[in-house]
Amino acid sequence: MSAEEAPPPARLGTLSRAGRVIVVHVRLHPAIFWIAVSGAAVFALATVASSWVLKWVTDNVILPRFNDGHVTAGMVVAGAAAIVAVGLVRSIGVVVRRTGAGALQFRTGATWRSRVIDQYQAQPLSWHAEHPTGELLAHADADVNASTDILGPTPYSVGVVILLVVSTLWLLATDWVLGGIAVLLFPLLSLLNVVYQRRVNAPAELTQVHLGAVSALVHESFDGVGVVKALGAEDHERDRLAVRAATLRDTKIRVAVLRATFETALDAVPALANVLLVVLGSWRVSSGDLTIGGLTSVVYLFTLLIWPLRMIGYLLGDAPRAVAGDGRLQAVLADPVPPRPSASVRVAPTGLGLSLSHVDFSYEPGREVLHDVTFNVPSGATMAVVGATGGGKTSLFLLAAGLMQPASGEIAVGPGTTALVFQEPFLFAEPIRDNVALGLAVSDDEVWDALAIAQADDFVRELPGGLDTEVGERGVTLSGGQRQRIALARALVRRPALLLLDDATSSLDPTTEARILNGLGGYLMGVTTLVVATRPSTIALADEVVFLDRGRIVGQGSHAELQGRFPAYGRLVDAYARDRADR
Amino acid sequence: MSGREGGDEPTWGAMEVLRRGWAASPELREGALGTVLLGMAGAVGRIVVPILLQVSIDHGLDTATGTADVGLIARFAAIAAVVIVVSAACSRAAIVRLSTRSEHALFGLRTRAFGHIHRLSLAHHAEERRGRLVARVTSDIETLSQFFSWGGISWLINGSLMVAVIVTMAVYDWRLTIVVLLTTSPLVIVLKLLQRRLVVAYTTVRERVAEMLVGTSEVVMGAAAIRAYGVEERATSRVEEAIERQSEAQQRASRLAALLFPSGEVFSVLTVSIVITLGVWQGPASGLTAGALIGFVFLVYRFLEPIAEFTEILDQTQTAVAGWRRVLAVLDTPIEIDDPVEGQDLAPGPPSIEVEHVSFAYRPRAGQGAAEVASALIDVTFRIEPATSVAVVGATGSGKTTLAKLLTRLSDPTSGVVRVGGIDLREVSFASLRSRLVMVPQEAFLFNTTVLDNVRFGRPRATDDEVRLAFVELGLEVWLDALADGINTAVGERGEHLSAGERQLVALARAYVANPSCLVLDEATSSVDPGTEARLARALESLARGRTSVTIAHRLSTAARADQILVFDRGRLVEQGAHADLIARGGVYAGLHASWLDATAVDGVDAAGSGVGGGSTSARPTPVTAS
Repeated sequence: MSAEEAPPPARLGTLSRAGRVIVVHVRLHPAIFWIAVSGAAVFALATVASSWVLKWVTDNVILPRFNDGHVTAGMVVAGAAAIVAVGLVRSIGVVVRRTGAGALQFRTGATWRSRVIDQYQAQPLSWHAEHPTGELLAHADADVNASTDILGPTPYSVGVVILLVVSTLWLLATDWVLGGIAVLLFPLLSLLNVVYQRRVNAPAELTQVHLGAVSALVHESFDGVGVVKALGAEDHERDRLAVRAATLRDTKIRVAVLRATFETALDAVPALANVLLVVLGSWRVSSGDLTIGGLTSVVYLFTLLIWPLRMIGYLLGDAPRAVAGDGRLQAVLADPVPPRPSASVRVAPTGLGLSLSHVDFSYEPGREVLHDVTFNVPSGATMAVVGATGGGKTSLFLLAAGLMQPASGEIAVGPGTTALVFQEPFLFAEPIRDNVALGLAVSDDEVWDALAIAQADDFVRELPGGLDTEVGERGVTLSGGQRQRIALARALVRRPALLLLDDATSSLDPTTEARILNGLGGYLMGVTTLVVATRPSTIALADEVVFLDRGRIVGQGSHAELQGRFPAYGRLVDAYARDRADR
Repeated sequence: MSGREGGDEPTWGAMEVLRRGWAASPELREGALGTVLLGMAGAVGRIVVPILLQVSIDHGLDTATGTADVGLIARFAAIAAVVIVVSAACSRAAIVRLSTRSEHALFGLRTRAFGHIHRLSLAHHAEERRGRLVARVTSDIETLSQFFSWGGISWLINGSLMVAVIVTMAVYDWRLTIVVLLTTSPLVIVLKLLQRRLVVAYTTVRERVAEMLVGTSEVVMGAAAIRAYGVEERATSRVEEAIERQSEAQQRASRLAALLFPSGEVFSVLTVSIVITLGVWQGPASGLTAGALIGFVFLVYRFLEPIAEFTEILDQTQTAVAGWRRVLAVLDTPIEIDDPVEGQDLAPGPPSIEVEHVSFAYRPRAGQGAAEVASALIDVTFRIEPATSVAVVGATGSGKTTLAKLLTRLSDPTSGVVRVGGIDLREVSFASLRSRLVMVPQEAFLFNTTVLDNVRFGRPRATDDEVRLAFVELGLEVWLDALADGINTAVGERGEHLSAGERQLVALARAYVANPSCLVLDEATSSVDPGTEARLARALESLARGRTSVTIAHRLSTAARADQILVFDRGRLVEQGAHADLIARGGVYAGLHASWLDATAVDGVDAAGSGVGGGSTSARPTPVTAS
């Protein structure tokens, strides 16, 4: 994460690309956009009207009263009523515009979000394996926000353009000299705003980067508190933080100084322009070209235009972020969807539950994970897979389940459902019942039966809500072993013909594991089982064992045969035995 | 993740938080008065235009004939221009001072809180509290930073502006000023109501966003499970629902926020029309002038201008006060295990360790009575001779790890005393203690940097050659050279580029360069491939040589190699002696040993026959195999 990685300032290319981003968004919900714009137009016209009302009130109510002491009550009421009426119209315009802009921005966000989700669901597992989780979450959240946030101020900006055009006409009509000067100042003020946004955006983004660095250090340092204490490195850690925190502090101060300079300049420059307008205005009044009311209303309108001019700066400042966010969003949506890997799985000949022939597989070219893997599992048999970590066991299971596409070779399974249970079970933030059924129409009794075989019925019964207990995000409220058993019940309730257990009982003690494996046969008549074995006791339950080493099948046979033929196999099983000894 | 979840938060009110925060940050106090005065001066520039207009209309223009004294008005304008420029400079100085001082104050607060949290005992660092501790030093400080750079400045500038406006209006006409204050005051109630609803609306938005993220993360992290069970449509419809609900909540909040500006506008135009009506009705007789009345109109608009920001600022202020409260509370948390005043240094050479009548009980958690907390250690007494090795064994929960914490003073005993080299640990200076007595924890935690830097963590001044030598001495030279970049290999976040066993190797080298005279080692339970296991065993032996060493043994093969074995059972030291003696005695240790032999046997096949004590993979045979 380089500290210099701030987005470039807005350039003309960026602006036209930002314009295209807005057009694409607006086409999704054009009606809402035009409602919001009409609100902004009403606001613009009412703003100019309010300036006209002030001129009328000054010339026809205030000045006559203070000059000759007379003004009719009707004129006063008319003036007061006009001020309130125009104010109300202006307010209505704002409500319509802001409500519309909110609806536009958030509905568009929702549309893109669901397109992103559809894309994620359409892509195969291999695609997911290539993309880090954080990146995929960012597309659905931060990138959609960055891309659509620019819609919020868009109707207002259209309104500002209308406001500037109408104001220009009105100012020139009131007095062409004064109006002309005011109009000449618009571009100057807009420019100042744009320069401000460009100057401040890069360092402001930089503070986010530095803040990320501080957070990462704090996370890491507190995670490693044991080491820090054991080695007495508290002061060392504090110094390490101080360096990063000082960088963050100095960047923030730099941004603050920039902001202070521009903010005060953006206040002072229009005030100075107003002072100039007063002097020029009084000269025009003395030459008889302008009324005092006209002078007042010009100064007043000019004051009202300062804020809208600043909004243009904000919009332009947001453009690079929108373009970058939208770029990432559209890139992920444009990824082509390959055919489903499950489509290539054949039906195995009668008598075989699972058959792999000459299967090669790799995640990336040149780094083969499985090579020429061939073996058959007869229908109803249990086959154990033994192999060291990183030997390709999990890939083998993903292929058998039709979740990955082999580079070459053929995979065939017997008729019926295939169910794969992972070592790291994934539970949804739902009740236990739904986590087991996962949309399958099953009765509670069937769920309980599956839980019983998975040795999960006892603890589920003891939970406060039983089957209705919500398990939290990814099942955090349960222990690892409990999650594994729920995941197992999920597979069992489907009564699969082929059951693939990828170290699915790793968090359970050997006794529970043995009870589960012993119960399977009675529950699932004729199920074919492929199981990763890391315990001698699991191996003992299998009809046959395949020994997988660095992506190749080294041997296949009974435990005793393999132990006799392959010393490496014996060593591995011994290592498992030792490792589990005191758990 | 900030706040609300902790029961350990103080209930200080906002004023108490400000008082304490003010006291805790000297950087903030320095020159604060000057900043406020500059802010006030800065506000003057923002009311110059209405005043200029009033002065020009009343003194430079003849409102009846429409003639103007342009020269006089130009002189007024020149003064106005100077005031604007000078006050802009004051305003800028005020903002710069406030931001700079507050950032320096927050830097101090952040580093102090970070240092303080590191000195808190390990009990405070329990897994479930870690997120909160991180938040204290990151997001809580960040809410304060946000406040000082936006809300705080807004309070200063807009507060000054409102005061300046009221003063100017009062100078023009005090009766109309009272009218303005009375007609605008209900706006405060309207805004408070609106703000309360907005807080609720934004809270809902945050919850909905969190739900959407949970749904999305299920689609991403559960991609395998979803595909394995073909439940794509089900998962999609759940997320779609969450997306829709998020969008609805966001639109609701934006509809509420859309009412902010109009409420200010409505009160502005009402007040202006009332002021004009009353001013005209009152007429020149009361001393009011046409210019002053027009100035009033401008000032009323200026007065209500900050309203649009008001609710946002209020919300931000509340968040900042809550964050400040939590950070200050952390600084107030007492440090239980502290460096003794005038602590003693340990004598050079391997020390003896004496544990006398030591008991230890963990503090009850919130909602847990003292009776429910079982003692982790009960009346434990033993002695370890200098430069000998001791293994501590026992089932999970027998008190082994607690003992390791007491020996390294990560905790203090509830009663009894631990002496190292004859000195009570509580009287040994931290500097001496941490350099002479090093613990290698069970999970070897590595920092996201190179192998070299991680090892150097044990002794920051160690040279590259010394670090390399550590690996050579521990017999890890071959392993080190096989790494992609040797000693400069980046280990990744938490050392994820290395296997669990390899992380242990680095941790051992780290302990080696620290060169302690006494070593406390909590053996890893995680699975390690046979090759690494052999390396670990050899490295451990080299490391322990010539030092007093205590190993919390999870593998009985490790225990068998020690000079002396301490057997723990439910917090008590139940057996003590050499491996062979304990086996012969037929007690708890012999029982543990027997059940371990059982677990390693395959039904019908005797896997244990190939050697329990490491057998074909261990560096040397152990007495266990012979038994």
